[in-house]
Parts: sequence; C-alpha cells; structure tokens
Amino acid sequence: MNTIFSRREMLTTMSSGIGWLAFSALAHARSGLASKEPHFPARAKRVIFLTMRGGPSHVDLFDYKPELIKRDGKTASLGRDSAGAKLFGPVHPLKQFGKSGQWMTTLYPQLAQHADDLCIINSMHTDLPNHAQAFGQMHSGSFQFVRPSIGAWTLYGLGTENENLPGFITLNPPADNGGAQNYGSSFLPAICQGTRIGGSQLPELYAALLKKDVAPGPPMKNIVPAVSSDLQRAQIDLIRGLNERKMERDGVDPEIEGAIESFELAFRMQSEVPGVLDLRSEPEHILKLYGIGQAKDQFARQCLLARRMAEAGVRFIEIASPGNWDHHNRLRELLATNCAATDQPIAALLTDLKARGMLKDTLVVWAGEFGRTPYAQSGDGRDHNHKGYSIWMAGGGVKGGLTYGATDEVGHKAALNPMHIHDWHATILHLLGLDHTRLTYNYGGRDFRLTNVSGEVARGILA
Amino acid sequence: MKLTRTLWALLVAVHASGDDGASFFESKIRPVLVKHCYECHSAESGKSKGGLMLDTKAAIRAGGDTGPAVVPGDAAKSLLLTAIKHSDPDLEMPPKEPKLPDAFIADFEAWIKSGADDPRDSATKVAERAPVDVKSGREFWSYKRPMMPKQASGGIDGFIREKLAETGLKPAPPAEPRVLMRRLYFDLIGLPPSDFSEKSAPANYEKQVDELLQSPRFGERWGRHWLDVVRYAESNGRESNLTFPHAWRFRDYVIDAVNADVPFDRFISEQIAGDLLPAKDDAERARLLIATGFLAIGPKGLNEQNKAQFAADVADEQLDAVTRAVLASSIACARCHDHKTDPFSMEDYYGLAGIFKSTQTFYGNWVDSENNNQGHLIRLPELPGQLIPNKSIPAERVKQLKAELAKLNQEEKDQKAYAEKAREEGRDITGEFYKMLQTAIRIIWTRGGIEGQLERVDDQGRALPLCVGVKDNKLILDSQLYDRGELAHPVKAVARGFPQVLEIKVAAPKEQSGRLELALWLTSRDNPLTARVMVNRVWRHLFGAGLVRTVDNFGFSGERPSHPELLDYLAIRFMDGGWSVKELIKEIVMSETYRQASGGQRAKSAEADPENRLLSHANKRRLDAEVIRDSMLAVSGLLDESRRPGSLVAELDGQSVSLMGFNTKLPSDLDGSHHRSVYLPVIRDHLPDVLEQFDVANPNLVTGDRDVTNVPLQALYLLNGSFVQEQAAALAKRIQASPHRVNLAFQLCFNRMPDEEEVALAEKFLRQGSADDLKLLAAFCHSLLASAEFRFAD
Repeated sequence: MNTIFSRREMLTTMSSGIGWLAFSALAHARSGLASKEPHFPARAKRVIFLTMRGGPSHVDLFDYKPELIKRDGKTASLGRDSAGAKLFGPVHPLKQFGKSGQWMTTLYPQLAQHADDLCIINSMHTDLPNHAQAFGQMHSGSFQFVRPSIGAWTLYGLGTENENLPGFITLNPPADNGGAQNYGSSFLPAICQGTRIGGSQLPELYAALLKKDVAPGPPMKNIVPAVSSDLQRAQIDLIRGLNERKMERDGVDPEIEGAIESFELAFRMQSEVPGVLDLRSEPEHILKLYGIGQAKDQFARQCLLARRMAEAGVRFIEIASPGNWDHHNRLRELLATNCAATDQPIAALLTDLKARGMLKDTLVVWAGEFGRTPYAQSGDGRDHNHKGYSIWMAGGGVKGGLTYGATDEVGHKAALNPMHIHDWHATILHLLGLDHTRLTYNYGGRDFRLTNVSGEVARGILA
Repeated sequence: MKLTRTLWALLVAVHASGDDGASFFESKIRPVLVKHCYECHSAESGKSKGGLMLDTKAAIRAGGDTGPAVVPGDAAKSLLLTAIKHSDPDLEMPPKEPKLPDAFIADFEAWIKSGADDPRDSATKVAERAPVDVKSGREFWSYKRPMMPKQASGGIDGFIREKLAETGLKPAPPAEPRVLMRRLYFDLIGLPPSDFSEKSAPANYEKQVDELLQSPRFGERWGRHWLDVVRYAESNGRESNLTFPHAWRFRDYVIDAVNADVPFDRFISEQIAGDLLPAKDDAERARLLIATGFLAIGPKGLNEQNKAQFAADVADEQLDAVTRAVLASSIACARCHDHKTDPFSMEDYYGLAGIFKSTQTFYGNWVDSENNNQGHLIRLPELPGQLIPNKSIPAERVKQLKAELAKLNQEEKDQKAYAEKAREEGRDITGEFYKMLQTAIRIIWTRGGIEGQLERVDDQGRALPLCVGVKDNKLILDSQLYDRGELAHPVKAVARGFPQVLEIKVAAPKEQSGRLELALWLTSRDNPLTARVMVNRVWRHLFGAGLVRTVDNFGFSGERPSHPELLDYLAIRFMDGGWSVKELIKEIVMSETYRQASGGQRAKSAEADPENRLLSHANKRRLDAEVIRDSMLAVSGLLDESRRPGSLVAELDGQSVSLMGFNTKLPSDLDGSHHRSVYLPVIRDHLPDVLEQFDVANPNLVTGDRDVTNVPLQALYLLNGSFVQEQAAALAKRIQASPHRVNLAFQLCFNRMPDEEEVALAEKFLRQGSADDLKLLAAFCHSLLASAEFRFAD
C-alpha cells in the first residue's frame, strides 16, 4: 500500500498538528500498543461484541408491538417497498421479564433471567437495507468506503492490556459481507487490525468417529514453535534487523512496521495463546453453565473463550452467531433455532462475567446489521428493515433494565430517540472513555473519526 | 498547512465557517433538514421527490417541479416554508407526519428572511442523483459508451502526467533495473527472476516483457486472477459442502486460454455459451463445453427441497456472477425490487433470469443426505491422451449396480402402489407412516449414490471423460416476474432479454435459451462496461489499485474513476486491438508510469495525494498468497513447474467435504505439493493454509480486489508452518556448499547482494553454531523467507 512518510517527515508533520493519538501510536509502536489513558474515566475497559449476522427480527425478539399483533394480516401501508404486503405479528409470543418488566421473546428464556441487566435499544436505524453495506456500516460507520473497524479504533484509542495477546480478536468471522474489512484497520496502524482465530471444524459425527475433538477452542494453527525458543528469538531479531534495514533504505512504511510488530506479537503469543484457548482448565460447572459438551457447542465455546480473552486483557472481542438471522422465510422455525443456539451461551457469559465482577467494566453488545420488516415476505418470513430495529447492551456502564427508544406503532421505523449507527458508535466509545470527536486520525490531511461528522452520545442509557 | 481543493471541499462540508449566518444554519436549519427532509430529497438517499433536492445550496434554491424551495429574503416565495407551515393543503411537508414544531418553523422563517446563509455551497461535492431510471442511467458515466479522448497521443503516461501536473506533482524517477525486474516477474508470471544480472539491463526490458508474456507461467498467474473473478472452487460450500471433482478442467481451460491469449470477447462468449458455439472438431467441442463450467461452479443451496426455488436460486447466482464478473454490476439486486441506486428494474432482472432458467446446469453432485438436487455431468468427446482421473470399475460391477437400481425403483413403485391402494380402499395406514418414510428415504439416498457412480462409467465400467458446465434446457421459457422475488407471487411473464439502460440491439431467440445472445450483448462494442471493467481489472493487478478502485462495482455506489479519459482510452484500444489481454498488459508495463520507482517525492504526494491515486510513484505491494508460496518453492529449488494432472479433489472418494476428515493421507493444511499454487485444491471453507493466511480470494464471491491484511497469524505461519520449514531446509541445502552462501541466499531471495550491515547481521546469526550446522543454516534461510522484503514488490 502506501509508503507515506519517512520517520523525519513524520515527526515534522506531527509537530504541525496531527493528533496526540497518532503520536502515541508511533511512540507505542515499539512496545506493541501499550495501554493508554482514555480521554476521561472509562466505564468499560473492554468490549465483547456478539454479532448476530443476517438481521434478527426485532419485532419478534425485543420490540413488543400490540398494534402489530392487532393488525396481523392487514395490508401494510408503509411506503413503496411494502406495497401489497400484509402485516405479520410476532411468530412467538413476547413477555415481560425481570423487575424492570422488559419485553422480550419467550424464545430467550435464559437470557430473560438477565432482563434487568440488559439495556434494550429499540430505536436503532442504519442507512441501507443490504447485508454487505449494513454489516460494514455496523463495523466501521461507513457503508461506502473501507474504514477502520470499531475494534481497531478501540485498540488505537486505548492500546492493549496484555502485550502477549492481540488487542482485537475476532472468532470465526463470516467471510462474506466484506470479510476482513469488518475487522480491518484501514488507514490506522496495521497492528490495530483484528486477529482472526478460527475456521472450519469437524462436524460432531465425524469427530466422534475419529475420536478427535471437534474444536479444542477454535483452531490455532502454527502456534507450536518450529525451533527452540532461543533460536527463534535469534531468527526474529534477524528478521527485524532485515526489515529495519529495508525501512532505512525505503522510508518508513506502516506495512513493514506492522510486519515487525506482528512477528514480535506472534513470538509472545506462542507462550500465552495456547493457555487462553485451552478450555480444559475450566471447571466442570463452568463448562456446564455454557452448555459445552452438548451437541453443537461451538458458540458456547466461543462465549467462554471470549470471557477468557477478556480476562486475559484482550480489548475487543468479536464473536459471530452460529446461524444466520436472515429469515426471509420459515421465520417461526428458524428464529427458534437461532435463539436456542445462542440463549444459554450468552446467558452464561453474562452470569460468568458478573460472578467474576467483570460485567461492570465489560461492555457486552448484541447486534445485527439491521432488523426485519413488520410485514410478511414469502408468507412466513420477513424482509430486511433498516429504518428501525433493536440491539441490546449490558454491563460496562449502561443502565440495566432499560428499554430505550421506540419504533412507530408497528415497529417499522425508529420514532422515539432514534439511534443511528453513528450515535451508537459514539456511545460505545464514550463508555470506553473516548470522546468520539477527539478520537481522530489524520489521514491525507483530514482528521477522520469513527463517527464521520455526526454521532451523538445517547446519555439516557448511561448508568 | 497548504490545502488542496479537494481538502477544502471536505473541510467546508464538515465545518461551518465562522460567521453567524452559517452557524445559525448549522445549529438550527441543517439538523431539521437532515432529520425530516433528506430522506426524500437528497443525494445520499438517492431520492428527489418532486424533482427537489435539499442537500446543497444550489439545489435548495433551484427547487423542484413547483418552484424554488428557498428564495433568500423572501419568505412568501419560499415554497419550503409554505410546505412546512402547512399553509397550502396540497403541499404539506413532511408528508404523513405531524407538522413540525412552531419553533422550527420560526427558525426557517428567520433564516430565509435574513438571507438564507447556506455554507453548503459549490465546494461541497456536487449532489449526484442515483441514476435509478433508464433516462438518468444513460447519463451516468459508466453506462455511457467510452469515447476516445481528443488528446491521446501521449498514451498512458500523457494522461497520468496531465493530472499530476494539475496537482503540482511530478512523476518519480525510473525504478532501479533490479527492482523493476522483480516487479515485472511477480506481476507477469508470479515468480521471482532466477537470474537477473544481464536481463535487467534497461535495453533488454521489452524483450523481457515479451518473453514473460509467452511463458506458460503467465497463464498460471493471470488465469488465477480470472479464477478469482469467476469464484472458482472445487466444492459447493454453504450448508452442503460437496466436491466438484471435475471442476479442475475449467481451471486448466482458463490457464490455457490466457496463455493462448484468446481474445477477451471470445473468452467471455465461450464461458457463457460455449455449448452453443460451433466447433470444428472434437477437441474444440470438449474445450467449449468445459468453458461453460463458469456457470456451474457457483455455491448452491443443495439441500433446498423445492425444485422451483432451487432452479430460481441457481439462475440468480449465475446471473449475479456473470454481471458482476463481466459488467461489475449488481443487477441481481433487482430480484425483489427495482435496484435502489442503479438503473436496473425487475423487468431487466427477470428478462435475464429467463435466459438462465432456460439453461440446465451440470454440476455432478448426486442426491444424498446433504443434497436434494441431482446435478448430472456433461460427457465429453473422447480425445487421444485425455486425462481421466475418475476411476473405472469392473463391467460386472456395472451390471450389479444396474440391478440394484432396478430393484430400488421397483421397491419404490410397490410402496407407492400400496399407499395408493390403501387410499382407494379407505384403509388407514398412518401407523405405517414412519416405516414407509424410512424406506422412501433409504431408496432415494441409495439410488442417488448408484446413479452417481453409473454416470461416471460406460457399460463396460470404463471411466468417462466428464465435465461440469451448462446446456440449454429442453424447455425454453420466459420467466415470470415475481413480486418481491417470491415464487408464490408471479405477476407477469417477462420476455427473455437484456437490461434497457444499455442500448444494444440483440434479442433472445425462441428456440434457444438466449445465452449466445447474452454473450453477444456483453461483448458488443456498444456495451460500455465490458471493456472498461476488464482493462480496469488488469490495471488493478499491475498497480495495486484500479482506476476505479471498486473494481467489481461500476455502479452508482462504486467509486468514480480517477482518470476517466485514460480508462476510456485503454478500453477503446483494447477493443480495437482485438481484445488482446497480452497486448493490453504490454502497453501498460511498457509505460513509464509502470516503470517508475516506488520512492520519489513522497512527503509532497502524501499531502496532496495520500492514496497515490494520481500515481506519482509506484505502489509497494504485498505479494499475493500464491506468489509468496511459489516464490518460496522457486528459491528452495523444489518448484515443480509441470502442471499438476487433475486435482487432489478429483482423487477423493465420495463427495462430502466433511468426510475428508477421515482421509489420513491428506495433509491437514491441504498443502505439501511442489506444484504451483494455482493447482492446489480450492475447497470452499476449507482452503490450504498458506492461501487462507495471505488473503486468497473468497471463492464464494466474485473477487477482483483481494484484501491485504497484516496480522500475527501470518507471522506464526511464516515462523512455524511446516511448508515454510521445508522450503527453508531445501534452500539451506542449496546454498550449503557455496563459499559465498550468504550472498547466494540474498541473490536467490531478493535478487541482490547483501549490504554491509546485512552481512554483519547474517554473520552474527550464523556464529551461533558451527559452519556445517545445517539446521542453523536452515534457520537463517527461514528468516530470509519470513522477512518483509521477500513478500513485497517494490
């Protein structure tokens, strides 16, 4: 990519006005993004982001709409795209849970036990109803351009708590919808990029026949050193020497700097990662809590891994839901399947974090790229809806037991306290102690932000 | 800081200027406009109801169909005010919503009366409306035919320099011959030069270019680029990941066609309609059938039980792949509604869909527990020396299988007759339902496997030459247009045909699917996209970024070209020159723009052109996954340049990818081969380690622009991967006997001698053990392979 500055040029340019973060990013490049002070005291030190890809149906899960139930089967008059379509009431009942009486689907019985910890936002909206664009916008704020992911911004802003682990890890991310861009660093230093762990695993049936573990944690290939530790250290020093020599000849290049850092990190990871990924050290009751050992427990393993990584100091952890929530048809059946696959592990994660006293400074986010239409598609499904949908957050400084914002009477469009992706990102950064207007990176003469030129912190959800 | 015009535009758009009028606008007016009006009246939303846009100063003053929205100083004439005040019942805005609060309306009134200060002036990006109808579509740059620019005598360099001069930038000096030679080798054949001293003399450059273009290695490199675009894979992926053991023939077809420089228009036609093209002999017939594999190798929802849905989805995937690959267009978005940002209607979509629905796809998967949709295969003419990797079986076994098949068919018939009889007699057999269902499933799954086996051999059990691909359906039918894409809601039949926005006179015939005409339509000189899209793809591979950086998206939501005239110039030259990809590549690599150094006056260009869109210097580029791996094999001396016959996938038993876990003969990283990487198995969701680590194209998607990531997992692979260790050990053996082994290692890996500092580093490393310590020498070589210089082209 671009070789931008020589080191001298970089320093000169910086003295004329690049933000303090760019300077500290450079200063910390040697030490692998050491921990940095936030702009103001943080409520959350880290984020566990549960990505529900495909667009979960908010009117079936969290957004209770009596009017929609009443008008089930009636013609929807919601503009061009709904022409002729019929309103479609929730396919499974919603009920109130907890002291707070939060409305939630009955398909999430275990998560519902945490109703008083959840801050449910029913007024989300995003710009486009297409998966790839909306998925990209959910991660980077932009549906059009390749921009740094929110995880990369977090790492850039706060550095890492553990220099032996990547600060931003994504477990089994979906390869579509922009793939690596969703955990990419774009113009931020390459070391801010998410490290992908995982890949395809053996189906249970074959694993049993082969007497192999389905997934002893997501697979981590090449983690066993090929040579003795001393020799490898010498190798890495030689590689670093060659790379530095190259930069002296060619000028500082963020890609090469990133490569130097990634070898250092890789070397340290070899000693730390196997321990973090090894779930066998967890006691039986914890494995049970998450549902590990049951059929299809991959997501449960990931949730437990997320807790272990959070504990070990990883700043931003993203997990993708096992199923896709893109329910254009057979919503009733498929929604139940997806909820069943995620209910226990997510509930366990919240229980576990709470028991360890970590929920108060760990922000858990549950979100898809958009929601679904209140009217039917194919008779028994719903189409994409970006004008209003739901997500929830828990821990990390958000008010539990709160339902924030609302859609119109049938759940089509955000109406009360609408929260655009930019507002949501601004709020997440705020919880992390970062002012979204000050978390900037000067690239090509312009100070870029995760929230572009908008974004308002939703103060109403702050605990 | 000196700001360029573009930067000003950005800053002005972002920050209100200091004066009061603008700050009033920013605090009181803009937020209301954004919140209540932009949805129907802005470039961002792509809508301009009533011809009105409200997102720029010019647009708000020009107004819409009924007159200016804002007349500075004149509240009465400002229709915007009329509308939000609800003083005219025919013009109440925002529609279907309560009237805005009085305070807002008062703000607007005050703002207009005081002169309607509006900072969103001409410096803001000119608002562009999404060309969603045919008329505006024909005005959009990419749907207009390319025109040869008037000033084209300076060729590529002329266009590049003109833009550089406008920005006050100068081109970089020529790259060092050694650097240029490495760049050229990586770009053209994907391997490092083995010997460079004499070849790299500038006088020999053109000769070198010609030699590389003629090398069989060229097709392996550039064929792979095309395989990215056509989402080539040897398995289905998705929820039923079954192998395509005959797909490799398509891979070889592509490599051979690229080597033979088959004209690109012909190349496209062969892949879309090879079965309908005339063939002079059996060899050509086979080649043309194999070419249609393009349409057969996409991911499919094999477990779909509804046949009509499956057929519609396969046609959709084909339509999407063809239009993205050839036109960089997302026409498939119009399946459920008219395209939201481009001029493609549902009629356009279903016109094309009818063509694919009148086509039968042969992908070879038989029915089993994972697959409800039998794929069949195309039988190829038998040719001398033809490779047939599928296995023969004894003639006796064929007889046996046929007997089993007959038995199963009879069993099925009997069960059906039994149920029918019970129904006639009014006898209740619900108690037997479960047992009957089990029998039915057993019959279907067993029969699937037998039919699959029988299709691969003749009556004597001799393995047949087979391929995946397409042929016309027996039934040629127009498709219905389905409301919101739902098969349950047909609206009307749409005649097979082509999107309206491009004015090309071709019609689909009654008696054929129309794929041949689709090929003609795509490769017509009047098609404004095909040539532009291809020259842009080529440009991307030679410079690291396309002239249109969104190489797979030439629509409204894609980027605009950095050098529109250059793009047109290249597209027209490409068509005029008989669509020769090799000539196109030659013209580009002979340009001074391609040959410039990657260094140069960086500080200046970093400020004026941070992304090097204007090409004031060459881009440093991380090599592609295949090039990294092949280069390791090349320097270790282990590279086997011969073509791998067939594919590993063709040698697997059964069709389920999941079952590969049983096969202990397979290396877990699917690697270990010494052939070039293009011949490694491409199993969806199960790619060889090295390719996966270094951002290989995702074979589920049309990919013209791979990601480039830089993560610790790559470092772990380079440090600990068994393949890298093997190459390092081989390289150590190769240099061991040389008295100048460090120099030799540097020459092999980097095509240069080490400098003093590097010699010192190397010697320090090697002093850790004795001179004949081969393991230490391998560790040294390993470090060179893992260094950044090895995987970057300068």
